[in-house]
Amino acid sequence: MPYFEDVDLGDEVGPLVLEASDDGVLEFCRVWGNDAPSRFTDAEIAKRDRMPGPIVPGIMSMAIMARLFTDWAGPEALKDLDLVFRQPVPHNSPLSIAATITDTRQEDGENVLECDVLMTGPDGQRYVGGKALVSLPSKP
Amino acid sequence: MALELDYDRSLYGVEHKAGPFPVTAAVIKSFTQGIGETNPIFIDEDAAKEAGYSGLVAPPTLCTIFVRQVKLPDVKLNFGKSGMHAGQKVQSVTPILVGDQITASSHLKDVYAKTGRTGTMAFVVWETTFSNQKGEVVAEVQESFARRE
Repeated sequence: MPYFEDVDLGDEVGPLVLEASDDGVLEFCRVWGNDAPSRFTDAEIAKRDRMPGPIVPGIMSMAIMARLFTDWAGPEALKDLDLVFRQPVPHNSPLSIAATITDTRQEDGENVLECDVLMTGPDGQRYVGGKALVSLPSKP
Repeated sequence: MALELDYDRSLYGVEHKAGPFPVTAAVIKSFTQGIGETNPIFIDEDAAKEAGYSGLVAPPTLCTIFVRQVKLPDVKLNFGKSGMHAGQKVQSVTPILVGDQITASSHLKDVYAKTGRTGTMAFVVWETTFSNQKGEVVAEVQESFARRE
C-alpha cells in the first residue's frame, strides 16, 4: 500500500484494464433490481434507444472505476468519486482506467490526494471522466 | 442571462425516505462479481476478518444500487425530451459491512441549465444520504440527469 510521502504531483495510478462482460452486467443489474430487459442487457432495446449495443450502467462504470483506487490504496482509501458520463460504455470491450495525481494536501488531519480519473476505450474513446479524493496513510 | 427553467419548485426541502436495505453477503457477492472485483477484503470473509473487520466489507459505491429504490417524484421539468444519466458523485463516510441495514433520505438539490457548444442542457440533481442501523452516515450520493434542448 502506498504512503503519502511516496507520491508526487503528476504521478499516475493504474491503468486498470478490464472488460464489462454480458454476464457481469446482468449480475449487476440483478442486484440493482433492474433485471427486466433494458438498454443495459438487451441489444434490441439498446438499438431502439439509438445505442450501438447494450451499454454498461453508469453506476456500474463508477463501481469499476472505484476499483482503481481500492486496488491501489485499500478498501477505505477512496473518499470521494465525482464522475461525468460522457459516452455510452460498451460491453465486452477493453476499458482502461487511469488517474493522475493533481494535488496533495493535509485536510482535517488526513493526507488527501486529488486525482483526475478517466475511463477510456481501445481507440482512445473518453467514456467517463472525473475527480477522486483519496486518503493515504503517513509513513510510520 | 441564465435560462429560467419551468419545474416544480415545491419539491425543494422535501425528504423522500426509503429502506432499510439489508446488506447481505449475497448482495455484496453479486455486486463484486458484476464488476470483477478481486480485492480479498470485498470477496473473502476470512480476509476481511483478518484485516480487522467484523465481516465482508462492501465496495465504496455499493449504496448506489439502492438509489433507484427511492421513489422520487417527477420534477415536471418543462424542457427537452429524452433524459440521460449525466453524472454521479459518491462521498464515502463510513465503511458498509455485511449485516448493515441501510436507509436512504433523498432530496432535490438543484435544477439548472447550462449552455455549451452543442446547445443548452437542463440538469436535475438529487442528493441522497445513506445511513446505517446505528444512525451513522455511510455515504452521500449525488445523481444528475440531463435533458437536451
